Amino acid sequence: MAEMNIEFTVNGKLEQVTAEPDKTLLYVLRQDLGLTGTKDGCSSGDCGACVVMLDGKPVNSCMVLGPQAAGCSILTIEGLAQNGELHPLQRSFGETWAFQCGFCTPGMLISCYALLELNDNPTREEILTAIAGNFCRCTGYQGVVKAVDLAAAELRAANGGARND
Amino acid sequence: MGIPNYTAPTTLKEALLLKKKTGAAARIIVGGTDLILKMRDKVFSPTVLIDLRSLSLDTISLTADKLCLGACVTQSQLLASADIARMYPALTEACREFAGPPIRNRGTLGGNIVNASPAADLVPPLLAYDASVVLATADSERELPLTGFFTGPGQTLMRADEILTEIRLPLMPSTTAATFIKLGQRRSMAISLVNLATRLTLDEHGAVSAARIVLGSVAATPIRAHAAESILTGKPLTDGLLEQAAREARMAADPISDVRASHSYRLKMTEVLVRRALLATWGELRGSAPDG
Repeated sequence: MAEMNIEFTVNGKLEQVTAEPDKTLLYVLRQDLGLTGTKDGCSSGDCGACVVMLDGKPVNSCMVLGPQAAGCSILTIEGLAQNGELHPLQRSFGETWAFQCGFCTPGMLISCYALLELNDNPTREEILTAIAGNFCRCTGYQGVVKAVDLAAAELRAANGGARND
Repeated sequence: MGIPNYTAPTTLKEALLLKKKTGAAARIIVGGTDLILKMRDKVFSPTVLIDLRSLSLDTISLTADKLCLGACVTQSQLLASADIARMYPALTEACREFAGPPIRNRGTLGGNIVNASPAADLVPPLLAYDASVVLATADSERELPLTGFFTGPGQTLMRADEILTEIRLPLMPSTTAATFIKLGQRRSMAISLVNLATRLTLDEHGAVSAARIVLGSVAATPIRAHAAESILTGKPLTDGLLEQAAREARMAADPISDVRASHSYRLKMTEVLVRRALLATWGELRGSAPDG
C-alpha cells in the first residue's frame, strides 16, 4: 500500500507525517519527527524503553502502528519539560541517580509521569507496579522509587497538600 | 507480500463486509501487542489490517443475567472494573498479573482469546466462569461456549469471515468462589509456565454444584480438567477430595518442555497449584458462609 497521511498531536503540536502503514509509532516519532528521545530497546513490547503517553495512557510505542495513532494526542520525553523548566521527575531522577546508562530513562520517566498524573502520593508498591513494564539493566529500581517519592512530595507541595490520604 | 493496507472502519457492518471480502488475507488489529510481533516475524503477512478501534466495542455492560464485555475492552479496563472485581475476581486477578501497565493499556480481551495462545492468561478464568463468545459475520451472528472454542495453538473455531465482537459471562450464584494462579519466572512481563483458574459453586446443602478446574500453558490449548472436576461435583468438600482432584488434574496436563520450563516441572506444578487454588477457593467459600 501507498504511504498514509497521519495527523496527530505530539507534545501539544499538531503534526502531519506520511508513512507506510506498518511503520510503528516508535519509528514515526524517531525518524519522521526526529524525536529520538524515545528509545527502541526490544521492539517487542517487553522492555518499556519506547513508552510514550497516548491519549493520556502510557503505551509501548513499538506496539502501535503509526496510523493507529491518527487523531490521538501523544506525549514523549521531549514534551515533559514545560517552558524550559524540567518536570519535577526529571530533576529528581538526577538528584537520586535513578539511572546509569540512561537508555531506559525516557520510558521510565513517562511511566512515572503517568502514575503521578493519577496519584501524587503513591506507595512504594504502586510505584513498582507503575514501572513493572520498564526494564533497567544497569542500576536497578531503588533510585527510581526514591525519585518518584521526591517528585511526588514536590507536586503535593505545589498542589497545596496531599490529595490522596 | 509487502506492506498491508490499513483501514479503520467506522461501523461494524463495514468491518464485517470487508472481512467477508478479504477473509484470511485480512487480520483484525486493535491492541496490536501480539499481531505486530507476528507481522514482524512473518508469522502473519496480512494484505489488509482492519482496526476496530472506532467501533465502540470497548464497553462493559451488566444485564439481568450476564456481563457483556466488548471484544476491544483492554486489560486495564478489566482491571479497573468494579463489577468484574466483585463478580469475577479471578479475572481481575489474571489482569493484575498480565504483562505490565503499558501493555495492559493496549492489549484487549478479544485479542487474548483469538490469539489462542496456550498460555493466554485471561482464558482460564473465562473458562472457569463459563464464558461464551459472540462471532459476527456480515450476514449473521453466533454465540459459542468458550469451552471447545480452541482447537490448537493459534487455532480456534472462528471462521475467516467472522469477527469476535463480544464475550459474555453468566452471573454466578452467590455461593461461588474462584481463584487464579499464575506461575512465571517473575511477576511482570513473564509468559506463564503454568496458569490456572478454579471455580467452585455450592448448592444449598453445601455440596459442590459446579466445579471448574482450568489449566493453561500445559497443553496445546487451555483445557478443563473434566475428570478432576467430576471428582468434586455433587459432594461436600474435604481436604482429601481436593488432594484427589489435584492429582487427577495433573493427569489432564500434557505440557511441552521449552526454554522456560521442563515437561516434568510443569506437571508437578500443575498438581501443586491446582491444590493450592482449590484450597484458596474453598477457604473463601468457608469464610463467606454464614454457618462457617
